Amino acid sequence: MTNRERVKAVLNGEKPDRLPAVEWASWWDQTVNKWIEQGMPRPEGDDPIQRFYGLDPLRQIWIGPKAADCPAPAHHGAGLMEDEEGYEALKPYLYPEASIESAVQTALAWKEGHERGDYAQWLTLEGFFWFPRTLFGIENHLYSFYDYPELLHQINQDLTEYHLKCLERVLPIYQPEFMTFAEDMSYNLGPMLSKECYDEFMLPYYKQVIPVLKEHGVKVLIDTDGNVEPLIPWFKEAGIEGVLPLERQAGVDVNRIRQNYSEWIMVGGYNKLVMHLGEDAMREEFERILPAMKSGRYVPSVDHQTPPDVTMEQYKIYVKLLKEYGKKAVED
Amino acid sequence: MAIIQEISEYLQKGRAKNVKALVEQALSEGVDAKEILNDGLLSGMMIIGEKFKNNEVFVPEVLVAARAMNTGLTVLEPKLAEIGNEPVGRAVIGTVKGDLHDIGKNLVAMMLKGAGFEVCDLGVDVDADTFISKAEETSADLICMSALLTTTMPNMKDVIDELNNRGLRDKYIVMIGGAPINDSFAKQIGADYYTPDAATCAETAKKAVMEKAS
Repeated sequence: MTNRERVKAVLNGEKPDRLPAVEWASWWDQTVNKWIEQGMPRPEGDDPIQRFYGLDPLRQIWIGPKAADCPAPAHHGAGLMEDEEGYEALKPYLYPEASIESAVQTALAWKEGHERGDYAQWLTLEGFFWFPRTLFGIENHLYSFYDYPELLHQINQDLTEYHLKCLERVLPIYQPEFMTFAEDMSYNLGPMLSKECYDEFMLPYYKQVIPVLKEHGVKVLIDTDGNVEPLIPWFKEAGIEGVLPLERQAGVDVNRIRQNYSEWIMVGGYNKLVMHLGEDAMREEFERILPAMKSGRYVPSVDHQTPPDVTMEQYKIYVKLLKEYGKKAVED
Repeated sequence: MAIIQEISEYLQKGRAKNVKALVEQALSEGVDAKEILNDGLLSGMMIIGEKFKNNEVFVPEVLVAARAMNTGLTVLEPKLAEIGNEPVGRAVIGTVKGDLHDIGKNLVAMMLKGAGFEVCDLGVDVDADTFISKAEETSADLICMSALLTTTMPNMKDVIDELNNRGLRDKYIVMIGGAPINDSFAKQIGADYYTPDAATCAETAKKAVMEKAS
Protein backbone atom coordinates (compact mmCIF):
# COMPACT_ATOMS: atom_id res chain seq x y z
CA MET A 1 0.00 0.00 0.00
CA THR A 2 1.16 3.57 -0.58
CA ASN A 3 1.20 6.14 2.22
CA ARG A 4 -1.88 7.73 0.75
CA GLU A 5 -3.78 4.44 0.38
CA ARG A 6 -2.90 3.50 3.96
CA VAL A 7 -4.31 6.72 5.44
CA LYS A 8 -7.39 6.49 3.23
CA ALA A 9 -8.01 2.88 4.29
CA VAL A 10 -7.85 3.69 7.99
CA LEU A 11 -10.15 6.72 7.68
CA ASN A 12 -12.67 4.58 5.77
CA GLY A 13 -12.59 1.83 8.37
CA GLU A 14 -10.87 -0.59 6.00
CA LYS A 15 -7.95 -2.79 7.00
CA PRO A 16 -4.52 -1.46 5.92
CA ASP A 17 -1.27 -3.47 5.74
CA ARG A 18 -0.15 -1.51 8.80
CA LEU A 19 -1.27 1.70 10.47
CA PRO A 20 0.23 4.93 9.12
CA ALA A 21 3.22 6.17 11.12
CA VAL A 22 2.50 9.88 10.90
CA GLU A 23 2.74 12.95 13.07
CA TRP A 24 -0.18 15.32 12.48
CA ALA A 25 1.38 18.25 14.36
CA SER A 26 4.39 20.12 13.12
CA TRP A 27 7.26 20.04 15.57
CA TRP A 28 7.73 22.61 18.30
CA ASP A 29 10.70 24.89 17.48
CA GLN A 30 12.16 24.36 20.96
CA THR A 31 12.04 20.58 20.44
CA VAL A 32 13.61 20.82 16.99
CA ASN A 33 16.41 23.07 18.29
CA LYS A 34 17.23 20.57 21.04
CA TRP A 35 17.25 17.70 18.54
CA ILE A 36 19.64 19.66 16.31
CA GLU A 37 21.93 20.11 19.33
CA GLN A 38 21.67 16.35 19.86
CA GLY A 39 22.74 15.54 16.31
CA MET A 40 19.68 15.76 14.06
CA PRO A 41 20.56 17.48 10.76
CA ARG A 42 19.11 20.96 10.38
CA PRO A 43 15.72 20.47 8.61
CA GLU A 44 15.95 21.19 4.88
CA GLY A 45 13.90 20.16 1.84
CA ASP A 46 10.60 18.27 1.84
CA ASP A 47 9.46 16.37 4.93
CA PRO A 48 12.94 16.57 6.54
CA ILE A 49 12.01 15.45 10.06
CA GLN A 50 9.85 12.62 8.74
CA ARG A 51 12.78 11.44 6.58
CA PHE A 52 15.22 11.60 9.50
CA TYR A 53 13.02 9.55 11.84
CA GLY A 54 11.49 7.30 9.18
CA LEU A 55 7.94 8.57 9.60
CA ASP A 56 5.39 8.51 6.77
CA PRO A 57 4.94 11.98 5.26
CA LEU A 58 1.62 13.71 5.79
CA ARG A 59 1.37 17.11 4.15
CA GLN A 60 -0.89 19.96 5.16
CA ILE A 61 -2.28 22.98 3.34
CA TRP A 62 -3.65 25.65 5.69
CA ILE A 63 -5.72 28.37 4.02
CA GLY A 64 -5.54 31.43 6.27
CA PRO A 65 -8.27 34.08 5.91
CA LYS A 66 -5.90 36.92 6.83
CA ALA A 67 -3.58 38.62 4.33
CA ALA A 68 0.17 38.57 4.91
CA ASP A 69 0.12 42.29 5.72
CA CYS A 70 -2.79 42.04 8.17
CA PRO A 71 -1.94 43.84 11.43
CA ALA A 72 -0.66 41.50 14.15
CA PRO A 73 -2.07 41.45 17.69
CA ALA A 74 -0.10 43.44 20.27
CA HIS A 75 0.53 40.25 22.26
CA HIS A 76 -0.68 36.68 22.49
CA GLY A 77 -4.44 36.65 22.94
CA ALA A 78 -4.95 40.31 22.09
CA GLY A 79 -7.53 41.34 19.50
CA LEU A 80 -7.36 43.24 16.22
CA MET A 81 -10.76 44.92 16.50
CA GLU A 82 -13.50 45.65 19.00
CA ASP A 83 -16.74 46.21 17.14
CA GLU A 84 -18.50 46.60 13.77
CA GLU A 85 -16.45 49.66 12.88
CA GLY A 86 -13.22 47.82 13.67
CA TYR A 87 -14.31 44.86 11.55
CA GLU A 88 -15.01 47.10 8.57
CA ALA A 89 -11.59 48.74 8.97
CA LEU A 90 -9.91 45.34 9.10
CA LYS A 91 -11.78 43.84 6.17
CA PRO A 92 -9.30 44.94 3.47
CA TYR A 93 -6.84 42.57 5.18
CA LEU A 94 -9.27 39.66 5.42
CA TYR A 95 -10.39 36.92 3.03
CA PRO A 96 -7.46 37.41 0.61
CA GLU A 97 -7.36 36.00 -2.90
CA ALA A 98 -3.61 35.52 -2.41
CA SER A 99 -4.14 32.74 0.18
CA ILE A 100 -6.41 30.87 -2.22
CA GLU A 101 -3.91 31.27 -5.05
CA SER A 102 -1.08 30.08 -2.82
CA ALA A 103 -3.12 26.99 -1.81
CA VAL A 104 -3.85 26.29 -5.49
CA GLN A 105 -0.14 26.53 -6.38
CA THR A 106 0.86 24.23 -3.50
CA ALA A 107 -1.84 21.72 -4.45
CA LEU A 108 -0.56 21.74 -8.03
CA ALA A 109 3.05 21.31 -6.92
CA TRP A 110 2.14 18.37 -4.67
CA LYS A 111 -0.34 16.80 -7.08
CA GLU A 112 1.99 14.32 -8.75
CA GLY A 113 3.45 12.93 -5.52
CA HIS A 114 -0.01 12.81 -3.98
CA GLU A 115 -1.45 10.90 -6.93
CA ARG A 116 1.51 8.53 -6.84
CA GLY A 117 0.69 7.95 -3.17
CA ASP A 118 4.00 9.20 -1.77
CA TYR A 119 2.18 11.15 0.90
CA ALA A 120 -1.28 11.69 2.29
CA GLN A 121 -2.60 15.23 2.46
CA TRP A 122 -4.86 17.23 4.74
CA LEU A 123 -6.39 20.64 4.46
CA THR A 124 -7.08 23.05 7.31
CA LEU A 125 -9.64 25.83 7.35
CA GLU A 126 -9.93 28.25 10.26
CA GLY A 127 -13.17 27.55 12.08
CA PHE A 128 -16.11 29.52 13.36
CA PHE A 129 -14.79 29.72 16.94
CA TRP A 130 -11.10 30.10 16.06
CA PHE A 131 -11.27 32.85 13.44
CA PRO A 132 -13.51 35.33 15.31
CA ARG A 133 -11.27 34.76 18.35
CA THR A 134 -8.23 35.88 16.36
CA LEU A 135 -10.13 39.07 15.45
CA PHE A 136 -11.67 39.92 18.83
CA GLY A 137 -8.89 38.50 21.02
CA ILE A 138 -9.43 35.62 23.44
CA GLU A 139 -11.41 37.35 26.17
CA ASN A 140 -13.44 39.78 24.06
CA HIS A 141 -14.41 36.92 21.77
CA LEU A 142 -16.02 35.19 24.74
CA TYR A 143 -17.93 38.39 25.57
CA SER A 144 -18.92 38.80 21.92
CA PHE A 145 -21.54 36.02 22.12
CA TYR A 146 -23.50 38.46 24.31
CA ASP A 147 -22.13 41.85 23.29
CA TYR A 148 -21.90 41.55 19.50
CA PRO A 149 -24.09 38.63 18.36
CA GLU A 150 -24.93 40.19 15.00
CA LEU A 151 -21.30 40.96 14.25
CA LEU A 152 -20.32 37.41 15.18
CA HIS A 153 -22.90 36.09 12.72
CA GLN A 154 -21.62 38.49 10.06
CA ILE A 155 -18.00 37.37 10.54
CA ASN A 156 -18.94 33.70 10.34
CA GLN A 157 -21.08 34.22 7.24
CA ASP A 158 -18.21 36.12 5.56
CA LEU A 159 -15.84 33.33 6.57
CA THR A 160 -18.23 30.70 5.19
CA GLU A 161 -18.36 32.45 1.86
CA TYR A 162 -14.57 32.62 1.79
CA HIS A 163 -14.26 28.92 2.60
CA LEU A 164 -16.71 28.04 -0.17
CA LYS A 165 -14.70 30.15 -2.61
CA CYS A 166 -11.48 28.41 -1.53
CA LEU A 167 -13.00 24.96 -1.90
CA GLU A 168 -14.39 25.77 -5.32
CA ARG A 169 -10.83 26.50 -6.49
CA VAL A 170 -8.89 23.89 -4.57
CA LEU A 171 -11.02 20.73 -4.53
CA PRO A 172 -11.08 20.22 -8.32
CA ILE A 173 -7.26 20.12 -8.19
CA TYR A 174 -6.79 17.79 -5.24
CA GLN A 175 -8.90 15.95 -2.73
CA PRO A 176 -7.12 15.71 0.61
CA GLU A 177 -7.66 12.53 2.60
CA PHE A 178 -9.10 14.61 5.41
CA MET A 179 -9.52 18.19 6.50
CA THR A 180 -9.76 19.90 9.85
CA PHE A 181 -11.57 22.94 11.07
CA ALA A 182 -9.07 24.59 13.43
CA GLU A 183 -11.19 25.51 16.43
CA ASP A 184 -9.64 24.94 19.89
CA MET A 185 -13.05 25.43 21.45
CA SER A 186 -12.56 23.05 24.37
CA TYR A 187 -10.22 23.02 27.36
CA ASN A 188 -9.41 20.61 30.16
CA LEU A 189 -12.92 20.91 31.65
CA GLY A 190 -14.84 20.50 28.39
CA PRO A 191 -16.44 23.01 26.00
CA MET A 192 -15.60 26.71 26.21
CA LEU A 193 -19.13 27.62 25.16
CA SER A 194 -22.66 26.35 25.70
CA LYS A 195 -24.52 24.10 23.27
CA GLU A 196 -26.94 27.01 22.74
CA CYS A 197 -24.10 29.30 21.62
CA TYR A 198 -22.66 26.53 19.43
CA ASP A 199 -26.06 25.93 17.82
CA GLU A 200 -26.58 29.59 17.14
CA PHE A 201 -23.13 30.82 16.14
CA MET A 202 -21.32 27.81 14.66
CA LEU A 203 -23.62 25.03 13.53
CA PRO A 204 -25.36 26.96 10.70
CA TYR A 205 -21.98 27.73 9.13
CA TYR A 206 -20.63 24.18 9.36
CA LYS A 207 -23.81 23.08 7.63
CA GLN A 208 -23.01 25.30 4.64
CA VAL A 209 -19.38 24.14 4.22
CA ILE A 210 -19.35 20.47 5.21
CA PRO A 211 -21.60 19.12 2.41
CA VAL A 212 -19.20 20.58 -0.19
CA LEU A 213 -16.24 18.79 1.40
CA LYS A 214 -18.13 15.51 1.59
CA GLU A 215 -19.20 15.75 -2.06
CA HIS A 216 -15.47 15.55 -2.88
CA GLY A 217 -14.87 12.57 -0.61
CA VAL A 218 -12.97 14.56 2.03
CA LYS A 219 -13.28 13.30 5.60
CA VAL A 220 -14.23 16.18 7.87
CA LEU A 221 -12.47 16.43 11.22
CA ILE A 222 -12.21 19.10 13.88
CA ASP A 223 -9.05 20.21 15.67
CA THR A 224 -9.87 21.09 19.25
CA ASP A 225 -7.61 20.55 22.25
CA GLY A 226 -8.63 19.63 25.77
CA ASN A 227 -11.52 17.42 26.84
CA VAL A 228 -13.43 17.00 23.61
CA GLU A 229 -15.53 13.98 24.57
CA PRO A 230 -18.65 15.92 25.67
CA LEU A 231 -18.66 17.76 22.31
CA ILE A 232 -18.67 14.74 20.02
CA PRO A 233 -22.50 14.62 19.76
CA TRP A 234 -22.52 18.33 18.90
CA PHE A 235 -20.02 17.75 16.10
CA LYS A 236 -21.85 14.72 14.73
CA GLU A 237 -24.94 16.87 14.36
CA ALA A 238 -22.94 19.16 12.04
CA GLY A 239 -21.70 16.24 9.93
CA ILE A 240 -18.20 16.26 11.39
CA GLU A 241 -16.71 12.76 11.34
CA GLY A 242 -13.71 12.88 13.66
CA VAL A 243 -11.37 14.83 15.89
CA LEU A 244 -7.75 15.48 16.79
CA PRO A 245 -5.59 15.69 18.95
CA LEU A 246 -7.40 13.83 21.81
CA GLU A 247 -5.28 15.04 24.72
CA ARG A 248 -4.77 12.43 27.41
CA GLN A 249 -3.78 15.11 29.90
CA ALA A 250 -7.35 16.46 29.68
CA GLY A 251 -8.70 12.98 30.46
CA VAL A 252 -9.59 12.00 26.89
CA ASP A 253 -9.67 8.23 26.38
CA VAL A 254 -9.59 6.89 22.82
CA ASN A 255 -10.88 3.48 23.96
CA ARG A 256 -13.90 5.03 25.67
CA ILE A 257 -14.64 7.15 22.59
CA ARG A 258 -14.50 4.02 20.44
CA GLN A 259 -16.94 2.23 22.78
CA ASN A 260 -19.35 5.15 22.56
CA TYR A 261 -18.91 6.05 18.87
CA SER A 262 -17.99 3.08 16.71
CA GLU A 263 -17.39 5.04 13.49
CA TRP A 264 -15.83 8.20 14.91
CA ILE A 265 -12.45 9.03 13.31
CA MET A 266 -9.61 9.75 15.73
CA VAL A 267 -6.13 11.15 15.15
CA GLY A 268 -3.70 11.64 18.05
CA GLY A 269 -4.45 10.29 21.52
CA TYR A 270 -0.92 9.21 22.49
CA ASN A 271 0.07 10.86 25.75
CA LYS A 272 3.01 13.16 24.97
CA LEU A 273 3.86 13.43 28.65
CA VAL A 274 5.14 9.84 28.89
CA MET A 275 7.65 10.18 26.08
CA HIS A 276 10.47 11.58 28.21
CA LEU A 277 10.09 8.69 30.68
CA GLY A 278 11.70 6.12 28.38
CA GLU A 279 10.82 2.96 26.48
CA ASP A 280 8.88 1.11 29.20
CA ALA A 281 6.55 4.04 29.77
CA MET A 282 6.11 4.58 26.01
CA ARG A 283 5.35 0.88 25.50
CA GLU A 284 2.81 0.96 28.32
CA GLU A 285 1.09 3.91 26.64
CA PHE A 286 0.92 2.01 23.32
CA GLU A 287 -0.58 -0.97 25.17
CA ARG A 288 -3.22 1.38 26.59
CA ILE A 289 -4.32 2.65 23.18
CA LEU A 290 -3.90 -0.68 21.34
CA PRO A 291 -7.62 -1.63 21.56
CA ALA A 292 -8.56 1.62 19.80
CA MET A 293 -5.78 1.09 17.25
CA LYS A 294 -7.23 -2.34 16.48
CA SER A 295 -10.75 -0.97 16.17
CA GLY A 296 -10.04 0.99 12.96
CA ARG A 297 -10.66 4.59 11.94
CA TYR A 298 -7.86 5.62 14.33
CA VAL A 299 -4.50 7.09 13.36
CA PRO A 300 -2.39 7.01 16.55
CA SER A 301 -0.14 10.02 16.93
CA VAL A 302 1.23 12.28 19.65
CA ASP A 303 -1.65 14.12 21.33
CA HIS A 304 -0.14 17.50 20.42
CA GLN A 305 3.34 18.76 19.66
CA THR A 306 6.16 16.68 21.12
CA PRO A 307 7.51 18.57 24.14
CA PRO A 308 11.12 19.79 24.30
CA ASP A 309 11.98 17.44 27.17
CA VAL A 310 11.79 14.48 24.73
CA THR A 311 15.29 13.74 23.44
CA MET A 312 16.13 12.71 19.89
CA GLU A 313 16.92 9.18 21.10
CA GLN A 314 13.61 8.97 22.96
CA TYR A 315 11.74 10.14 19.87
CA LYS A 316 13.49 7.44 17.83
CA ILE A 317 12.19 4.88 20.34
CA TYR A 318 8.70 6.38 20.03
CA VAL A 319 8.79 5.99 16.22
CA LYS A 320 10.09 2.42 16.54
CA LEU A 321 7.20 1.55 18.86
CA LEU A 322 4.67 3.42 16.70
CA LYS A 323 5.65 1.16 13.81
CA GLU A 324 5.74 -2.00 15.95
CA TYR A 325 2.26 -1.36 17.36
CA GLY A 326 1.04 -0.14 13.97
CA LYS A 327 1.69 -3.69 12.68
CA LYS A 328 0.33 -5.36 15.81
CA ALA A 329 -2.93 -3.41 15.40
CA VAL A 330 -3.72 -5.10 12.07
CA GLU A 331 -2.69 -8.64 13.04
CA ASP A 332 -5.56 -11.11 13.29
CA MET B 1 -36.73 40.90 49.44
CA ALA B 2 -37.83 41.09 45.80
CA ILE B 3 -35.24 43.65 44.67
CA ILE B 4 -32.36 41.58 46.10
CA GLN B 5 -33.66 38.54 44.26
CA GLU B 6 -33.89 40.58 41.06
CA ILE B 7 -30.28 41.75 41.43
CA SER B 8 -29.16 38.13 41.75
CA GLU B 9 -31.22 37.04 38.74
CA TYR B 10 -30.07 39.84 36.45
CA LEU B 11 -26.49 39.21 37.51
CA GLN B 12 -26.83 35.56 36.52
CA LYS B 13 -28.04 36.67 33.10
CA GLY B 14 -25.07 39.02 32.77
CA ARG B 15 -27.28 42.09 32.49
CA ALA B 16 -24.89 44.71 33.87
CA LYS B 17 -27.08 47.76 33.20
CA ASN B 18 -30.04 46.22 35.04
CA VAL B 19 -27.83 45.22 37.97
CA LYS B 20 -26.41 48.74 38.24
CA ALA B 21 -29.88 50.32 38.15
CA LEU B 22 -31.26 47.88 40.72
CA VAL B 23 -28.34 48.34 43.13
CA GLU B 24 -28.81 52.12 42.88
CA GLN B 25 -32.53 51.70 43.47
CA ALA B 26 -31.99 49.38 46.45
CA LEU B 27 -29.57 51.84 48.06
CA SER B 28 -31.97 54.73 47.51
CA GLU B 29 -34.73 52.71 49.15
CA GLY B 30 -32.50 52.25 52.18
CA VAL B 31 -31.69 48.57 51.76
CA ASP B 32 -28.63 47.57 53.80
CA ALA B 33 -25.49 47.60 51.57
CA LYS B 34 -24.23 44.37 53.12
CA GLU B 35 -27.50 42.67 52.26
CA ILE B 36 -27.25 43.88 48.65
CA LEU B 37 -23.68 42.58 48.53
CA ASN B 38 -24.17 39.21 50.18
CA ASP B 39 -27.69 38.21 49.15
CA GLY B 40 -27.76 39.93 45.76
CA LEU B 41 -24.35 40.17 44.10
CA LEU B 42 -22.33 37.46 45.83
CA SER B 43 -25.23 35.04 46.04
CA GLY B 44 -25.88 35.47 42.28
CA MET B 45 -22.23 34.90 41.53
CA MET B 46 -22.16 31.80 43.73
CA ILE B 47 -25.05 30.33 41.76
CA ILE B 48 -23.16 31.02 38.52
CA GLY B 49 -20.05 29.39 40.01
CA GLU B 50 -21.99 26.28 40.96
CA LYS B 51 -23.59 26.08 37.50
CA PHE B 52 -20.16 26.53 35.90
CA LYS B 53 -18.80 23.68 37.98
CA ASN B 54 -21.67 21.49 36.83
CA ASN B 55 -21.26 22.47 33.15
CA GLU B 56 -24.67 24.19 33.13
CA VAL B 57 -23.11 27.51 32.10
CA PHE B 58 -19.79 28.12 30.35
CA VAL B 59 -16.99 30.66 30.19
CA PRO B 60 -18.91 33.41 28.30
CA GLU B 61 -21.77 33.27 30.80
CA VAL B 62 -19.35 33.49 33.75
CA LEU B 63 -17.60 36.46 32.17
CA VAL B 64 -20.77 38.47 31.57
CA ALA B 65 -22.10 37.60 35.05
CA ALA B 66 -18.83 38.70 36.64
CA ARG B 67 -18.94 41.92 34.66
CA ALA B 68 -22.45 42.55 35.95
CA MET B 69 -21.25 41.85 39.50
CA ASN B 70 -18.38 44.30 39.11
CA THR B 71 -20.77 46.97 37.82
CA GLY B 72 -22.94 46.47 40.89
CA LEU B 73 -19.90 46.49 43.17
CA THR B 74 -18.72 49.81 41.76
CA VAL B 75 -22.03 51.37 42.84
CA LEU B 76 -21.92 49.66 46.20
CA GLU B 77 -18.28 50.14 47.18
CA PRO B 78 -18.47 53.72 48.54
CA LYS B 79 -21.30 52.65 50.84
CA LEU B 80 -19.44 49.51 51.92
CA ALA B 81 -16.34 51.59 52.70
CA GLU B 82 -18.47 53.98 54.73
CA ILE B 83 -19.77 51.20 56.96
CA GLY B 84 -16.33 49.52 57.17
CA ASN B 85 -17.25 46.25 55.47
CA GLU B 86 -14.32 43.83 55.52
CA PRO B 87 -13.71 41.34 52.70
CA VAL B 88 -13.75 37.59 53.37
CA GLY B 89 -10.02 37.67 52.69
CA ARG B 90 -7.39 39.12 50.42
CA ALA B 91 -5.72 37.39 47.51
CA VAL B 92 -2.95 38.10 45.04
CA ILE B 93 -3.27 36.18 41.80
CA GLY B 94 -1.22 35.86 38.64
CA THR B 95 0.00 33.63 35.83
CA VAL B 96 3.54 32.50 36.59
CA LYS B 97 6.72 33.71 34.93
CA GLY B 98 7.11 32.77 31.27
CA ASP B 99 3.40 32.12 30.78
CA LEU B 100 1.12 34.62 29.04
CA HIS B 101 -2.19 32.74 29.32
CA ASP B 102 -4.71 34.48 31.48
CA ILE B 103 -8.25 33.38 30.80
CA GLY B 104 -8.22 30.72 33.54
CA LYS B 105 -6.54 33.09 35.96
CA ASN B 106 -9.13 35.79 35.14
CA LEU B 107 -11.98 33.39 35.83
CA VAL B 108 -10.50 32.51 39.21
CA ALA B 109 -10.06 36.21 40.05
CA MET B 110 -13.72 36.80 39.16
CA MET B 111 -14.90 33.87 41.25
CA LEU B 112 -12.79 34.97 44.22
CA LYS B 113 -14.33 38.45 43.98
CA GLY B 114 -17.71 36.77 43.73
CA ALA B 115 -16.95 34.90 46.95
CA GLY B 116 -16.24 38.19 48.73
CA PHE B 117 -12.44 38.38 48.43
CA GLU B 118 -10.46 41.51 47.70
CA VAL B 119 -8.32 40.51 44.74
CA CYS B 120 -5.06 41.99 43.50
CA ASP B 121 -4.60 40.71 39.95
CA LEU B 122 -0.92 40.79 39.00
CA GLY B 123 -1.53 39.77 35.38
CA VAL B 124 0.67 37.38 33.42
CA ASP B 125 4.38 36.51 33.40
CA VAL B 126 4.66 37.22 37.13
CA ASP B 127 7.94 36.44 38.89
CA ALA B 128 8.39 35.19 42.45
CA ASP B 129 9.42 38.55 43.86
CA THR B 130 6.31 40.28 42.49
CA PHE B 131 3.99 37.62 43.90
CA ILE B 132 5.58 37.90 47.34
CA SER B 133 6.10 41.64 47.54
CA LYS B 134 2.50 42.31 46.43
CA ALA B 135 1.21 39.76 48.93
CA GLU B 136 3.14 41.56 51.66
CA GLU B 137 2.00 44.99 50.48
CA THR B 138 -1.70 44.06 50.33
CA SER B 139 -1.72 41.95 53.52
CA ALA B 140 -2.94 39.03 51.45
CA ASP B 141 -4.11 35.74 52.89
CA LEU B 142 -3.78 33.87 49.62
CA ILE B 143 -1.25 33.59 46.85
CA CYS B 144 -2.92 32.07 43.77
CA MET B 145 -0.82 30.95 40.81
CA SER B 146 -1.89 29.79 37.38
CA ALA B 147 0.00 28.08 34.53
CA LEU B 148 -1.17 26.66 31.24
CA LEU B 149 2.11 25.31 29.96
CA THR B 150 4.00 22.26 31.15
CA THR B 151 7.15 24.30 30.58
CA THR B 152 6.09 27.06 33.00
CA MET B 153 4.45 25.05 35.75
CA PRO B 154 7.82 24.45 37.49
CA ASN B 155 7.98 28.23 38.05
CA MET B 156 5.25 27.81 40.67
CA LYS B 157 7.81 26.04 42.81
CA ASP B 158 10.17 29.02 42.53
CA VAL B 159 7.56 31.17 44.27
CA ILE B 160 7.15 28.63 47.08
CA ASP B 161 10.93 28.24 47.42
CA GLU B 162 11.29 32.00 47.64
CA LEU B 163 8.58 32.16 50.32
CA ASN B 164 10.58 29.58 52.27
CA ASN B 165 13.82 31.50 51.74
CA ARG B 166 12.22 34.64 53.13
CA GLY B 167 10.67 32.77 56.09
CA LEU B 168 7.17 33.69 54.89
CA ARG B 169 5.78 30.33 53.79
CA ASP B 170 3.44 29.83 56.75
CA LYS B 171 2.01 33.31 56.41
CA TYR B 172 0.20 32.52 53.14
CA ILE B 173 -2.21 29.95 51.78
CA VAL B 174 -0.77 28.97 48.40
CA MET B 175 -3.22 27.77 45.75
CA ILE B 176 -2.36 26.62 42.24
CA GLY B 177 -4.31 25.70 39.13
CA GLY B 178 -4.25 25.43 35.34
CA ALA B 179 -4.66 22.78 32.67
CA PRO B 180 -1.44 20.80 33.30
CA ILE B 181 -1.67 20.99 37.12
CA ASN B 182 -2.94 18.25 39.39
CA ASP B 183 -3.07 17.42 43.06
CA SER B 184 0.13 15.40 43.08
CA PHE B 185 2.04 18.27 41.48
CA ALA B 186 0.67 20.60 44.17
CA LYS B 187 1.90 18.24 46.89
CA GLN B 188 5.23 17.78 45.14
CA ILE B 189 6.00 21.51 45.09
CA GLY B 190 4.54 22.22 48.53
CA ALA B 191 1.43 24.20 47.56
CA ASP B 192 -1.50 24.07 49.97
CA TYR B 193 -4.25 23.46 47.45
CA TYR B 194 -4.86 22.52 43.83
CA THR B 195 -8.37 23.06 42.54
CA PRO B 196 -9.60 21.91 39.14
CA ASP B 197 -11.86 24.87 38.34
CA ALA B 198 -12.49 28.48 39.25
CA ALA B 199 -15.64 27.89 41.30
CA THR B 200 -14.00 25.18 43.40
CA CYS B 201 -11.02 27.49 43.91
CA ALA B 202 -13.25 30.20 45.38
CA GLU B 203 -15.03 27.72 47.69
CA THR B 204 -11.77 26.19 48.83
CA ALA B 205 -10.20 29.61 49.38
CA LYS B 206 -13.08 30.67 51.58
CA LYS B 207 -12.86 27.53 53.70
CA ALA B 208 -9.07 27.74 53.94
CA VAL B 209 -9.13 31.36 55.12
CA MET B 210 -11.82 30.58 57.70
CA GLU B 211 -9.90 27.55 58.96
CA LYS B 212 -6.69 29.53 59.24
CA ALA B 213 -8.46 32.27 61.18
CA SER B 214 -10.08 29.87 63.66
